[in-house]
Order: sequence, then C-alpha cells, then structure tokens
Amino acid sequence: MARFRIRNGNQMIAEGALKAGCRFFAGYPITPASSIYKSMIDELPKRGDVAISSPDEISALAFCVGASLRGFKAMTATSGPGFSLMAETLQYAVMTETPVVIAVVQRLGPSTGGATQGGQGDALFVGHSIAGGYTIPVFSPSNPIEAYELTVHAFNVAETLRTPVVLLADKEVAMTSENVDYEKLPVPEIVDRKYFSPIGERSFNTYFFESPDEIPDFACIGGDEKVTVTGSAHDMAGRLQKNSPETVEVLKHLQEKIASHAEEITRLDSDLTEDADTLVLSYGISARTSREAVLNLSRKAKRVSLLNVQTLFPIPVKSILDRIRGIGRVVVVEENITGLYRSQIEHLFAGKEVVGVNGVGRMIAPEQIENAITHAEQRSDG
Amino acid sequence: MDVVKTEPRSTFLKDGTKFPYCKGCGHHHITRAIDDALVKLQLDPKHVSITSDIGCVGLVDALFDTVHSLHTTHGRSAAFATGIELADSILADSALKSIVVIGDGGAMIGLLHLVNAAQLNVDITVVLYNNFLFGMTGGQNSSFSPLNFVTATTPHGNIIPPIDLITLLQGANAGFLARKVATDVDLADTIAEAIAYPGFALVEVLELCTEYATRGNSILGNKLAEVMPEKTLDLGIISRKADRTDFGGAYKKKSAEMRKEEANGPAVIVPRYENGIERKTGIIVAGTAGERVQSSAYMLAEAAVLAGANATQKNDNPITQGTGFSLSEVVLSRQEIFYTGIDVPDIVIIASEDGLTELDSERIFQMASERTLFIIDESLQVPPCKGTVLKKPLRKKFKPSGAAFAGIITAFRNTGILPKEAFIDVAKLQKRSEYLLSIIERVFANK
Repeated sequence: MARFRIRNGNQMIAEGALKAGCRFFAGYPITPASSIYKSMIDELPKRGDVAISSPDEISALAFCVGASLRGFKAMTATSGPGFSLMAETLQYAVMTETPVVIAVVQRLGPSTGGATQGGQGDALFVGHSIAGGYTIPVFSPSNPIEAYELTVHAFNVAETLRTPVVLLADKEVAMTSENVDYEKLPVPEIVDRKYFSPIGERSFNTYFFESPDEIPDFACIGGDEKVTVTGSAHDMAGRLQKNSPETVEVLKHLQEKIASHAEEITRLDSDLTEDADTLVLSYGISARTSREAVLNLSRKAKRVSLLNVQTLFPIPVKSILDRIRGIGRVVVVEENITGLYRSQIEHLFAGKEVVGVNGVGRMIAPEQIENAITHAEQRSDG
Repeated sequence: MDVVKTEPRSTFLKDGTKFPYCKGCGHHHITRAIDDALVKLQLDPKHVSITSDIGCVGLVDALFDTVHSLHTTHGRSAAFATGIELADSILADSALKSIVVIGDGGAMIGLLHLVNAAQLNVDITVVLYNNFLFGMTGGQNSSFSPLNFVTATTPHGNIIPPIDLITLLQGANAGFLARKVATDVDLADTIAEAIAYPGFALVEVLELCTEYATRGNSILGNKLAEVMPEKTLDLGIISRKADRTDFGGAYKKKSAEMRKEEANGPAVIVPRYENGIERKTGIIVAGTAGERVQSSAYMLAEAAVLAGANATQKNDNPITQGTGFSLSEVVLSRQEIFYTGIDVPDIVIIASEDGLTELDSERIFQMASERTLFIIDESLQVPPCKGTVLKKPLRKKFKPSGAAFAGIITAFRNTGILPKEAFIDVAKLQKRSEYLLSIIERVFANK
C-alpha cells in the first residue's frame, strides 16, 4: 500500500544526507538552497550531531573540510553565488583528498540573477571549477526520489574516492513539492571511507597509494596516526614539494582515481524504445519534462528513447555510447542558452544529428521538445 | 583542559631541521616559542594540530614532528581549524588542541574567520606572525603596515593607519588576547597560556622581515621601536576572560534538550477516496502574502493525494516574503506528473488585487483557454479572457485569511473532481481546523 508524504527535492536531499550518515552540516542562507540548511538544523542537533550557521560560504565549506578531516561525514548546500565563494576551498578538498558533499541548487544566473527563478546554467561552472583541470563527480537529480538516492550516492562516492562531490540540483526540482511514496523509496547501501590500520611494519603516510587509481587509506586529525595535510603539491607523506617524480605521480593520481572509477560511480536512468531513431538526453528538471515529451510522442506512435544523465561528471562516456547505438538523432535538453552539457558530449555523437533544445528564464515545456523533434524529422524527410 | 602526560619531550620540532627563514627573521623566535610552549605543556602530540596559513608562515606546520599538521589556503586557516574543533568538541572526545599560525596578510583577508572563531569561542589558539608586510610575495604593504612604513607598494611611505586587530577582536568578545614582541623572553609562556586557555585565544607577535622591512626604513639591528607602532599599541596579555562559555559545551547542552523533542516529520497520507480527475489539471491560486494562499494550495495537494491523485505544488512570492503577492501552482493527475509547469491553466483562483496584478503581469489571462475556470473575489475586475469567470464574495464572506481556501473549495465543489471528504480530512489536521471546516460546509451548503 502506498504511503505518501508531500516532499520537495531539498527535503529529500536532507533526508538522503541523514541516511548516508552525515553528521556535520554547515550552512549559509541562500535561495533556493536554504531549506536544506533548515532541515539539517532541525534534525542534526537532535541526534547530537552538528548543524552550524557559518558567517559566509567560504567558512561553510572550510568547516566541512575540517570536520571531514576530523573523521566525520560533512555537507553544505548553496547556489551559484555561494558556490563562487567556495571554489578555492573546493580545490583544497581535491588536493587534500577530503570527502565532502556540496549540494548546489541552481537558480537563474549570472551574479544574483533570479533568486526565485530556476535555471540549469551551472553544469560547467561546477564541473570545471578546479584549477589544473581535475574532475570532481557531479550528480544531478530530476525528482525528489532521485534527490534522495543521489545524495546517498554522493556521500558514498565522496567517501570511497576521498573527493569533494557536487550534487547539482535546480530550483524546480528542489522547491516543488509532490507526493512521494515512501514504500517505494530505495534502500541504498551506505559506504564509509577506508581507515588505515597498522599491519606489521606498515607505517602511515597521509597520501600513500601503490597504483595511481588507488585511494589512500584515511586517518583522522586527532587520531593515533600523525596526519600531514597540505593543499600544496606534495609527495605521499604530505611533504610540500615542487616537481619530484613522486609529487608528479600524486598529481596524476588525483585525476586517475576519479577517471578510473568513472563507470562504477555512474548513475543513469534510461527508457529505451526499440527501433527508436531519436534519443532525448537530459538531466535535472529538463529530464522530467523530456520524459513527458517522450510519452506524448509515443502516444503519437513515434519511437523515441530517453536518457536521464544523473551523472554529469566524470562524463559517463561508455554508458552514453551504449545507449545511443542505432540512434540517428540525439536531442539534448537543458535550461541554459548555449547547451552547456551538450558542448561536453557532442563529440560522442559523430555521424549523428545533434539537436539542442534550450531556454532561459522559464522552464522548457514538453511542447518545445516535441516540436524540435518533429521539425528535425521533417528536415530529414524533406 | 586535557593534558595527557607521556614521556617528557624536549622538543616537538623535527630533529635537525634547519628553519627555512632568513637570517634575523622573527619567524625563528616565534616558531621556537610555540615549540617551547608545547614542551612546557607536555601535550600528547596526537592531541595537537598545527594549521598554517599562506606565506612564509605556511612553512611552520611542516617543521613540527609527531603533531598533526595542515597547510591550508590564504586567510582560511582559522576556518579550517574551527571546523576541526567543532567536530572534535561535539562529535569526538574533545581532546584536540588546535594551533593556527597566520601572517598579517592572512589575518586581514581572513579577518571574518578570526572574528567568527572568537565569537563562537572555539578552542583554537591563533599565533599571528605580524611583520607588517607580505614577505613571500615581494614585500608589499599589508593592513598592519605602520604609518610611513616603506614597502614595495608604499615606496614613499604608508599613509593608511594600521588596523588594531586586538581591539577589533575585543568587540567579538574574544576570550584571550595578547600582543607580544618576537624577542620577548616570556613569549613562550604567553603562548602556553593561550594554548591552555579553554577557548579562542590570539597572540599577536610583532616582528621584522629582515628581507624587506629593512629596505627604506631606518632600522638599526633589531630595534623594532624604530618602525613598530607599539608605542601606541598595548603590549602583554590584554584580555583573559574567565566566564566565556565554549561553543562545543553550549551546543551539546542545547542539543541534549532538543533530543527530548518529538520527531516532527511530515504527515503520512494513505489514499482513501476516489477522484474524478480526467486529465492533467493545472490550478493557480493567487492572493496576498500573509493571507494563507500557499498553505491553502498545499492543503489542496494533500486532499488530492488523499483522493488517490498525484500532485505537485510550487510557490512564488516577492523576495521580501511578507508583503505583496503570493502565488501557488498545483498540478493534479491520475498519472505520474513529469512536467510541473502550467502552460494552460484549468482553474485560477484569485483572492485579492495583489494576486490579480501578478497574474496579469505573468500573462495568465492570455494563457487561459475556453476550459479555464476563474474563481475570483467579487471586488476584482479581470481583463478580457477566454474561459468562465465566477465572482464570489470570498474576502467578505470568509475573511481575507480564508479567501484562497474558500476559492479552492468553490472550484472543486463546482468541478466535482475531488471529494468534499478529502478536504474535511485535511482541514481537521490544521491548527485553525474549526474555521476551515466551517468554510467547507458553508461553500457546499451554498449551491
């Protein structure tokens, strides 16, 4: 029997974080992410855990990094303007291999943009936010259940790969309430970071790995092992160094550990139709709308497949290629002007027609997607 | 404080490490004084962490052995240490002593973090290496440069009076504040006292950059007095408060009280009625902020789910929240709802002039079709549009705070797609249930 609660994406992000074992949240108010902060302030102290108001977004993420280095799962939430301030600390988390989750709820940009208006203009802003070109995992939910599931996943990935992870939501998914059937809520597996255990003569090095795709075992500040953390280029012992062979190896490892695990951390939701010539690829709020457009077209006996890319980065190349076999046309739907994510994946569609459906200032409607597909079909028929 | 005695240590510095600092640089004195303070306190090294900032001071953490060390970003060292301490004091065993080493450049760019740490009163000790300039990047002036100080970027002498951080932090209710000179023989004692203090402590230490401060400034040997502003700045221990509550302790006390609170999750809705929804139905409810527009729309969504439908609801209002229009969009469907926008509204309820003006500016009247049903307060004039317009005395009869709800009930009485019982069940759970139930009865009685 269905047991519904009326929930929005932000509330489910908070529920997902609690499920994942988040014990530390630092928040700074910003529309449309504030209700994540509020939910955590309401819940964590009751459990004896920490939810704290920070004096700015820089502090919010720095608190989380500190708490994570002390050994606790940590999260913050913000929107584009706040994320701008976090960029430096985010890079510190990459360099120091510190697990942390940042929920970024997109609103209309640039600058203060539209605080209460939706948008999907931040995919590359978050995905390309690391100097040196390092990849951080970015996941994007399209409804409250995905928000819950992907938040847990974001924590699991942050913990197992020792990396910051961005959960990229958007105002429409985050702040639209709907009935969620808790009987159908997934029961996700919870994973924790791997702690160093002294075996035999093995001594602890903060950033030790044998092969570059390996994740160094963790030891916390305040624990038995002496931890040496640095945001500067370093060797495996955490010693600041310029370009020793070992330091270069560590730098390559930071990218390799993400790239080599790309497929296993990939989450996608596809609805493939046999013999479809067109595939609609989207994420976030536009993926929901795309689903409606695909349903409408199927009622008109058109064969169209759908791919909801819940993992934006690392780009799930293999999974996307798997799903576009036999497809002649890929329609990429996202609520920004230039087709930001399309620009990242277009090269995968060589020999196929690529159509962008874009918009700004208001939600893309199903009709826009249906019309784009119909026009493309007419073009190729004519 | 927690002092864990192990075998006495004569130093916490790495064996045989040569300091990476210029001859005569005050960093030698200050770093040795931190070590002497740790020796004096005989802290267990695994319960000590040294967090460094950026600049020459950023090399300090690596000089220490066995204690935990972090080298962080410019100005943010205190924020990282605050995060560690918050987790340590509330979630862990509260044994950790955090020492932050920061320069005068870092103290200014990260001023907020020092103010915040002082205000929270987290157990960190900040040692400020104040040499009045940016040494590592070429001797540029800082916010701490004295008047007339010659630096790479004040070649004719500084004209901005220096900041007095200690006075500033007094305004943030800092627990322990001291200002010393690097060559003071009792510097280690003061730092030890700061570390032992159970809360935020800051020791500003005045020193000279031998590479840059000596250029252009008349300094003989280490006579700090030639350039130092200490003639106008207080020296010694300036503040030592015995009555400051540490944040971790206060938080734990408060959270223990909260643990007694009952879980207050959202209501579980198990569908128990039928609905007559034939196709996806978009409803817009518009009115004035503070007149229960959005909560009424939320009740509509709950009633729909109770009647076996799917529902989405989203709100809009001006950013100032409590004034002007208030708007809510509800979509109902038997099928799963994917697109949550409303391109052609089926039902539009307008409870006030504010709501009407906003809908007009959003071109709702142009978007209406023949099937659109408008329920509007009798006082309002709608622009020419398609659809059916029903005028009702919503505000007069049901008060402004009941107008939106009464409009919703009127719409669903007329369309019959949701049962009265569903609204009654939802209304019963509200604080003002009596009034809401009376609205339902009056609307249904008044055919």
